[in-house]
Amino acid sequence: MLSAAAASAIPRLRWAAPPRHASSRAQWLLLRQRPLSSSPNVTPAAAASGPGPLEPPDLPRLAKSARISLSQQEAEEFAPKIQQVVDWFGQLQAVDLESIEPSLRADTAVGSSLREDKAEPFANRDAIIEALPSFDDPYIKVPRVLNSE
Amino acid sequence: MALPLLRGITTPTLFRANGMFCTTQRPILAHFSANKPESSVRTAAPKSTQQATREGQVVAEQNTQGFEAVIGIETHVQLSTITKAFCSCPYNYGSQPNTTICPTCMGHPGALPVLNAEVVECAVKLGLALNCNISMTSKFDRKQYFYPDLPKGYQISQFDIPIAEKGYVDLDIPLEFGGGHRRFGITRVHMEEDAGKLLHSESGSYSQVDLNRAGVPLLEIVSEPDMRTGIEAAEYGAEIQRVVRYLGVGNGNMQEGSLRCDVNVSVRPIGQSEFGTKVEIKNMNSFSAISRAIDYEISRQILLHKESQADQIVQETRLWDESSQKTFTMRKKEGLADYRYFPEPDLPEVILTTEYIDEIRSSMPELPEAKRRRYENMGLSMQDVIFLANDDNVAHFFDSTLEHGADAKMAANWIMGDIAAYLKDEKLSIHDIKLTPLELSEMIASIKNGIISGKIAKEILVELISKGGTVKSVIEEKDLVQIADPAAIEAMVDQVLTDNPKQLEQYRAGKTKLQGFFAGQVMKASKGKASPVLLNKILGEKLKGDC
Repeated sequence: MLSAAAASAIPRLRWAAPPRHASSRAQWLLLRQRPLSSSPNVTPAAAASGPGPLEPPDLPRLAKSARISLSQQEAEEFAPKIQQVVDWFGQLQAVDLESIEPSLRADTAVGSSLREDKAEPFANRDAIIEALPSFDDPYIKVPRVLNSE
Repeated sequence: MALPLLRGITTPTLFRANGMFCTTQRPILAHFSANKPESSVRTAAPKSTQQATREGQVVAEQNTQGFEAVIGIETHVQLSTITKAFCSCPYNYGSQPNTTICPTCMGHPGALPVLNAEVVECAVKLGLALNCNISMTSKFDRKQYFYPDLPKGYQISQFDIPIAEKGYVDLDIPLEFGGGHRRFGITRVHMEEDAGKLLHSESGSYSQVDLNRAGVPLLEIVSEPDMRTGIEAAEYGAEIQRVVRYLGVGNGNMQEGSLRCDVNVSVRPIGQSEFGTKVEIKNMNSFSAISRAIDYEISRQILLHKESQADQIVQETRLWDESSQKTFTMRKKEGLADYRYFPEPDLPEVILTTEYIDEIRSSMPELPEAKRRRYENMGLSMQDVIFLANDDNVAHFFDSTLEHGADAKMAANWIMGDIAAYLKDEKLSIHDIKLTPLELSEMIASIKNGIISGKIAKEILVELISKGGTVKSVIEEKDLVQIADPAAIEAMVDQVLTDNPKQLEQYRAGKTKLQGFFAGQVMKASKGKASPVLLNKILGEKLKGDC
């Protein structure tokens, strides 16, 4: 329950061209110590290797994470293709960034704004419901799940 | 009589659907009871929650010799925005399932999330209230996991650069739990979206999903592992709830799941610097349940340590079961979950300006801690301070009463006594009653000026609470002005003494306790209007005298 008065007293945030802050540079430098990923789950080997060659992809693990079943043959077929994609990213490591302004994200259009907290119910709910693989009014029906993540 | 417990007394309901627990618990229960720590067995029938919590504290104290518990809490606060975090779907708790949905929150391909400005404002408010550093630039990340209540296959969250971090919260432990002031560290506050609700059909052959809640904005508050007892953890949770309510960013309702606490508990021998293996506990829907669940878990882990079975403590998620007052294994953690976080490509970074943060800072209400310190400086007791600052509506009522010139201690007594009792009996909140702070202050002034007695004031108060009106009109209407004329009271005393010769004789024979009887008779004769001070003075003189 946000009071209208309090809300209007606060200027709307805009995605204006960001003034660069020293702190954002520090954060960025921190991030760059981990190659191409902000994940904490980078294997120690990969983290230690720094901006060198990237770890070869572990196909069975990738498939499991994506909930995709791959046959042994398919895995063997895909491995070099995915390796190729990883190598393309690997080429980025060679880019000289010394003189480049740090950025957390790619540039965003100047002037695009946040959304006002105003309700606009979606008009075509029926289409959403129709697109569901299984619907048991009023619930979406899914295979039984019990705490297995 | 403060605290989490006041609010905690409600019928326990399981957090998600019942079926989920029935099926998983049976075998585990059997397994668990084999090495169940005997000393921590509690009665299954819930007693008064307050009593149960006290016992829990005693149990915890007795069993902790040589060990200390380390507790950290993750709190999810649902924001009371009109719309969801990244789409314009309205959200209202209790809506017909699957009605407030759109392609964005349903995770349809090609739908683009757009951040709700109100979410940023709430995050900054809460971050400031928790004394955090606010990140001028932060970003969203995708946290991947597969579960049917998460239609996109990932949750939009903030990972390495949260909007706020490195803060703290101050609170006062109620006297009945040992008292004292505490400061607990806040690691971070970040913005994320909620998942839908999952229900399990009776037959158990399939599950049902309601995606109304999918995409609703949450703020996750991660505490430092600074708490040591169930009480401290419960008080931390209660303080977060107060802050959320004072700020108006959420309703903080635990039963509806608008405030959810996941607790991490580990135990280590005192003096050891590294932490023991931590266990996560979920499914507590009141602060007293948090306190009891933690104390149970601490006892369980200490017992395993003492029996040299510390290796039985494994990193896992356990559920609190209200009916048996125990925790049970929900799932064992198989290594670290691999969420494969990466920056959310569909959302730009969140850039704040100092002007924006300053505006929010200047619009912040007085927070619970500041209020408590202010009340304490007025000379109120800690019990009064904690009670009044617990609910911002009550605090506001109290503050308004003082603004009309009322004495702080008297106002506190009336609010905590008769008014609180009425609210509790009628299950009302303080802004539901017709009594205004102005009339309360008038009533207190009337007592001070001797116009009415405290006893009459109680009568007037009930009238004002239920029907409204002014103190003046009620006094006149009911002819309740206190009799402060000594001659009138003396006449009544004489009459009572004449009417009760036997008791008078007994009194004079040494049964002086009978003074109370006479006072009661005079008060009755005056219909409660005699000034008690004058009455006692005159009665005492008459009884001692040899008339």
